[in-house]
Amino acid sequence: MKNNVKITRMKLSITQQHLARKVGVARQTIGLIEKGQYNPSLKLCIAIAKELDATLDDLFWEEEAE
Amino acid sequence: MKSWMSFLLSNDEYKRLKMLHFYAEGGVLLFIAMLVLFLTNDYFGLGPDVIVLLGMMVFIFYVSTRYMFAGIEYPDMTSEKSYRKEVRVTLMRSVTFLGIFSGFYLLLVDIPTTAEAWIDLAGIAIITSVVMFVSTFISLKRSYKKNRELL
Repeated sequence: MKNNVKITRMKLSITQQHLARKVGVARQTIGLIEKGQYNPSLKLCIAIAKELDATLDDLFWEEEAE
Repeated sequence: MKSWMSFLLSNDEYKRLKMLHFYAEGGVLLFIAMLVLFLTNDYFGLGPDVIVLLGMMVFIFYVSTRYMFAGIEYPDMTSEKSYRKEVRVTLMRSVTFLGIFSGFYLLLVDIPTTAEAWIDLAGIAIITSVVMFVSTFISLKRSYKKNRELL
């Protein structure tokens, strides 16, 4: 699943390791989410959104090209 | 989700999901292996103890091999420095195991009296520590490679 986690995280200058520690997962899991290779649970989505000060829409909603 | 086998699973949700898949696949394979043995054991004539052992081996071998190659054992390792350090630690652990295993065998079981018995002891100790090192090394290398790709 495409998402904006990496872009948002980089805008805030947060490392994968830091975000992972804050939301209670491994760094690998954050990497997999950013690459769209793992769909996180809703609980983890919310934790990431809170940590990145963004909404679920900002991070995970896929805009359809017109 | 709570389960009695939660103690076998990781706190990280990705790793937990992967582990659940491996256990489930191992369970299905175990069922198939038991079914095949049930249907063909008239021909093979294996005893019940051998069948139980085979079943356990199928499950343990499958789950541990999948885990080893999945690259999920070291999810935070991304730097070459930490990778090399962990390889050294793994090597030291295997050598330590070799020493401790041999020491305990000599102390608690028996001191071999023939050359053949010494070779048997050395063979078991060396093969076990080599398998231990190789399996950890594969897991480490796969984890490191996967983590680097995800940076």
